[in-house]
Amino acid sequence: MPLRNVPIRQKLMLIALLTTGGTLLLAGLALIFFNVKRFKEEMRDDLTTLAQIVAQNSTAAIAFKDKTVATDTLNALSARKPIVAAAFYDEGGKLLAQYQRNPGMRFPSQPRSDGATFVVGGLDVFRHVELDGKRIGTFYLRSDLSELTSRIKVQAITVGAVFLASGLAALFLSSGLQRLVSGPILDLSETARAVSERQDYSLRARKRGNDELGRLVDAFNQMLVQIQERDSALQTAKEELERRVEERTRELARRNEELHQSNKELDDFAYIASHDLKEPLRGIHNFSNFLLEDYAEKLDDEGRSKLETLMRLTRRMESLIDSLLHFSRLGRVDLAMDRVDLNEIVAEVVDSLAITLKEEGIEVRVPQPLPKVRADRARVGEIFANLVVNAMKYNDKPQKWIEIGVTPNGSSGKGSTPVFYVRDNGIGIPEKHHDAVFRIFKRLHGREKFGGGTGAGLTIVKKIVERHHGRIWLESAAGEGTTFYFTLQEET
Amino acid sequence: MRAVLLPLLLAAALVAPGSPAPAQPAVSEADVKAAFLYNFTKFVDWPQPVLAEGSELKICVLGEDPFGRTLQALTQEEVGGHRLKLIHLSSPSNLTACHVLFISRSEKDRLPRILEALGDAPVLTVGDTQGFVDQGGIINFLLEGSKVRFEINQEDAERVGIKISSKLLALARRVKGRP
Repeated sequence: MPLRNVPIRQKLMLIALLTTGGTLLLAGLALIFFNVKRFKEEMRDDLTTLAQIVAQNSTAAIAFKDKTVATDTLNALSARKPIVAAAFYDEGGKLLAQYQRNPGMRFPSQPRSDGATFVVGGLDVFRHVELDGKRIGTFYLRSDLSELTSRIKVQAITVGAVFLASGLAALFLSSGLQRLVSGPILDLSETARAVSERQDYSLRARKRGNDELGRLVDAFNQMLVQIQERDSALQTAKEELERRVEERTRELARRNEELHQSNKELDDFAYIASHDLKEPLRGIHNFSNFLLEDYAEKLDDEGRSKLETLMRLTRRMESLIDSLLHFSRLGRVDLAMDRVDLNEIVAEVVDSLAITLKEEGIEVRVPQPLPKVRADRARVGEIFANLVVNAMKYNDKPQKWIEIGVTPNGSSGKGSTPVFYVRDNGIGIPEKHHDAVFRIFKRLHGREKFGGGTGAGLTIVKKIVERHHGRIWLESAAGEGTTFYFTLQEET
Repeated sequence: MRAVLLPLLLAAALVAPGSPAPAQPAVSEADVKAAFLYNFTKFVDWPQPVLAEGSELKICVLGEDPFGRTLQALTQEEVGGHRLKLIHLSSPSNLTACHVLFISRSEKDRLPRILEALGDAPVLTVGDTQGFVDQGGIINFLLEGSKVRFEINQEDAERVGIKISSKLLALARRVKGRP
């Protein structure tokens, strides 16, 4: 695990341990180093002194070349353990007597000048033997470093033991003391985790002291307070919003219901009114007819003419009432939804109008096959009939044509809802009237111009389209023609 | 001459029997004894009035001189601030003026008389005769194989006031009167 991912508790302990260990190790090594140095100096001094004493006490033996006594003297050195070899050289530099703890020692072939020198694995000491101011020989001794190594060993063990004990003490102390630092941090981290997990901003981290961590905890808690406030404000706003949306929705539903109700009442009224209006109208018509048949010769031309006008008006009134009835019925009855082949329907419409179309010389084009849709067969027929009749009527061009088709994505350009159209090259509709054309009994031209009519056709078409949850609109350029677009289903 | 000769002599004086040195000139027993005689002076103290500071240290040879030129050469040295003086005596007269008195083997028969004449005089007597020490002489040469050794009569040395260094005593093969 990389160090940066180690838990903070262990990091702190690691710091304590490494610091303690490092300083102790350094101190220990320094101690050993200086002790070794001091011991070496002591050893050097000690052996130099020893060499001096031996040299002084051996003057006679050297002077008299008494090898036996000299050897005895050297052998006495065996009592001193670290001394592994010793020798006397005469004044000519020749070995006079020698001692070695273990055989195999190679003595220096020539004595050197006085002094103690550390060599590999030992200490060489030379001391001249002087008698009456003359150098008569040299004493040599070699000490091994066993005392030094054993001392180093003892010190290393001591340092190691101290190291271990301090390490344990540091571990013990730091495991307790690290809580001073890690405790608040862990608290903080735990609180932060709980807050983010439970989204509970009412939680607070516990503050333990007034150090930087304490201030951090304060800042953290302060932040929590702010978040809590904002959260609750947000919550309130949200609830308020929900409440208002609900209110509006209820209001809307109520209005909708009211609208629906009034629509229905209107439809009912239109039906009842038109239905009830028809009977007296019939009476007026019939009696006018009687008048015309029975009293024609008693009336002058003007009277007859007025009577005929009355009859024409009653017929017109009747057709208006029929249209109204028809229109109101469209709002009342259910649609007979079925799978409908629009090609058939268009063909039927064109057939029914064939004579007029031929008389007027109008060409009807269906550029591509129309799809099958779910719709009310009769009503859809009405849509096409009305639109085709309109297209026929409002055309003053010598070469008249009507095009019926479908644009896959519609001119609106969105969704996959098929958009049907009926296009002509007629007189066109000025843009300001684009909405008015769908109003009931609204006619843009004189009563008898362009073949007359009640002015209910497009209103009925619109109603049928809307009952299919479709939409109807138009594009037109005055004098060039008009295109009515419509859909027969909810647009997707 | 002195500087060259002395080390040579001392080096030659005692060659270990196990390590022959054919390149070196043969060292005679007399040469060794001469060197010993010379070295004895370094380990012996005479009472102050007998050997005053800076005075001559007289080495006398009574009788036939076995050392010849060797001792002659050695006595050119100084020992402890004293010039050495080699005196050859043919008769035992004025013996007490000597500090060291080598009594030659030739005087073997007259030995008791000579020692008696010395009395309590602080003279280091050195002999080369069997029984010399037991008769009252102080140091006597011995031969241990081919090596020259000596024995010391501590008893009489103390009696006459001559102080022999313990270092020298340590080399003696026998010390008479050692407590």
